[in-house]
Amino acid sequence: MSLPAQRAQRMPIHEPVAPAVAVAAPPVLATADFSLWYGTHQALHDVTLEVPEKSVTAVIGPSGCGKSTWLRSLNRMNDLLANVRTGGAVLYRGTDVYGHGVDPVEVRRRIGMVFQKPNPFPKSIRENLTFPLRINGVRGRYDEIVEQALRRAALWDEVKDRLGRGALELSGGQQQRLCIARALVTEPEVLLMDEPCSALDPGSTARVEDLIQELAQRYTVVIVTHNMQQAARVSQHTAFFYLGRLEEFGRTRELFAKPQKKRTEDYITGRFG
Amino acid sequence: MTAAAELRAPARLRHRHRKSSLFAVLAASSLGLGVLVVVLLVFSTLRSSGELVSMRATATAGLSLSQRAVAGDSVQAPYVGIAQVIEGSSAMAVGIADGDALLTIGGTPVEDVHGAWRAVGSLPNDQELTRVGWVPHLEALLGEVELEPIADAPGKFRPRLAWLPDDSLLAAAGIRSGDVLLAVNDWPLLGSQQSWQTLVVAARQGAGPVQLRVVRDGVEQAVSAEIRRTGELTLQRDFLAAIWHFVTALDEPRYPEHAGLSSAILGSLLVVLVTMLFAFPLAIGASVYLEEYAKRTRLTSVLQVLIANLAGIPSVVYGIIGLEVVCRTMDLGRSILAGGITLGLLILPVMILGCREALRTVPPWVRHAAFAVGATPSQVVRHQVLPYALPGMLTSMILAVSRAIGEAAPLILLGAFLYVNYRPQGLMDSFTVVPIQIFSWATYPQAGFETIASVAIVVLMVILLLLNGAAIVLRNRFQLRW
Repeated sequence: MSLPAQRAQRMPIHEPVAPAVAVAAPPVLATADFSLWYGTHQALHDVTLEVPEKSVTAVIGPSGCGKSTWLRSLNRMNDLLANVRTGGAVLYRGTDVYGHGVDPVEVRRRIGMVFQKPNPFPKSIRENLTFPLRINGVRGRYDEIVEQALRRAALWDEVKDRLGRGALELSGGQQQRLCIARALVTEPEVLLMDEPCSALDPGSTARVEDLIQELAQRYTVVIVTHNMQQAARVSQHTAFFYLGRLEEFGRTRELFAKPQKKRTEDYITGRFG
Repeated sequence: MTAAAELRAPARLRHRHRKSSLFAVLAASSLGLGVLVVVLLVFSTLRSSGELVSMRATATAGLSLSQRAVAGDSVQAPYVGIAQVIEGSSAMAVGIADGDALLTIGGTPVEDVHGAWRAVGSLPNDQELTRVGWVPHLEALLGEVELEPIADAPGKFRPRLAWLPDDSLLAAAGIRSGDVLLAVNDWPLLGSQQSWQTLVVAARQGAGPVQLRVVRDGVEQAVSAEIRRTGELTLQRDFLAAIWHFVTALDEPRYPEHAGLSSAILGSLLVVLVTMLFAFPLAIGASVYLEEYAKRTRLTSVLQVLIANLAGIPSVVYGIIGLEVVCRTMDLGRSILAGGITLGLLILPVMILGCREALRTVPPWVRHAAFAVGATPSQVVRHQVLPYALPGMLTSMILAVSRAIGEAAPLILLGAFLYVNYRPQGLMDSFTVVPIQIFSWATYPQAGFETIASVAIVVLMVILLLLNGAAIVLRNRFQLRW
């Protein structure tokens, strides 16, 4: 185990946020002293946070606070950008995903992601769901896996008769649920969501929020949102980022009711943001 | 101030309207130019293909026409010579022979070959027999000619008919062997060839016999002689047959009516095939590397500048490269393979630029979505980026191939032949291409080659349209339908 990983294990991570986590099993996802630079600009400063398993963790903060950057670091999507440098560690089941010899492709297969704007492939609904299976070398009958993923994404009843039709014919909310289904077909443990409702209307948002609650029974969900009401509605834990630092992390109810820090209070009461 | 006045644009901004009207004028004028070009194109196509059809009509009857002219002291005029009569043709059957002069077609006197073909083109009924008139060639009309010097005009000679064949038209008019020809229709007759030519032009002047003055046994006499023969030929205009012959026959450097484009068409298609097979994979590979994989280093930016510059280099330069590298160093000779690779090098930079543009139109979220479900970079490119970019890449291929198929200069430099009298059988054969054939025909002095050169231009355009059409069908098939 690498040095930052050991340190992460030793370190007390805030309050006992997830009491059910067994001491023996490493946490599903955590960052330890994680920093990130875009060129010379440091976007994240020593973020240390342990994501509670099988629950929803919301990440809030003003624009440019680094919450999306942190999220994209978890499954190494930031690798796609030029001039990105990282320090510290992102630990998936105790393994540093930035460690030597770790294949980012494997990381992304275990840590799925849903983006701000619905981004289905410009292909049929079925192909959107079978593509991750095909590239992962899954053989056999895709139909069952497709149906299961669509059911979990609460989309099955709406599209079961038109799986061969283009995914871009769906409404925005349906597209976003399709993207969630697409992230689920590879059976990831963690689902990262980067403002998944910001491009949706209120009705679709409500459906996706319900879905997120359901998914938390099976998956560990991390959701970045600029909407504090949404964070309060869907999450069990909330992290507040400010200027690239993790300001506060705790149970959602407590963080919104009794923020420990002045800045958190200012933000959630709308004094800035 | 009223509301209407408030809504008017302030004076300092009024130039916006002038600018937009300027653009409208520019757009309209370019549109007008385009319409003009199309009209001219259609007009010249109809004209040249119409003449080709007439050329084929005379050729099918067995006649190869050639433009001749008499340049005598008294007469200077063009006339239509019959350069060749095909063995066993209907023209030979009515008695027309090599070297005769064609006078009339369907009653219309013809002065030059274009006039002859125009006359064929305007025959009211080309299915039936057409009466043609001609003057038999020199030996048939005048027999053996001896030249007699003229006492008061040194260096000039009168024709004396040393031996006149019995079946000559002059013999039928009462002229005998030993007579000296003085003049026809008051034009003096000098020399042998020139005398015959003068007779031809004189015969064309009217429908009836010509008025000859001859000296027999020292006595000058006037003789009225019919020196024109007539016969009936079928000069059938058949557009499809003419075009079919033109695109399937081999080149014929003497007679434009028998020349065809087949070896050039075959050469062009094979060269373009090699070009595409060579350039398309390379262009896709290079553009995918530069857009999807390459890091922005000094080397790749130098590479990009180089490619952009290469796209603007004159095509002859690629001819030199092809000659030196492909023909000599790679030892491919003046083969189709060498030509195709050279043209491939020529269009490669343009295609790389086009393919890169196509890749840039792929929105980043397509890549992100694919990466997020655990695709490797090569899977992202193969399954998502390339299918998305392929229609754009095919568009750039269409443009590049259009350029390649119209290129003559680099291939001439490479040593492609100007005259090829065989069809290429394989990729190592030497070849010619349609633009070179056009260039070659356009430089021939004989009348008629400029016509088939312009028909060849039309054929080249049709080939281009067919290729582009095929590429567009292909592109629409690949186009994402949602």
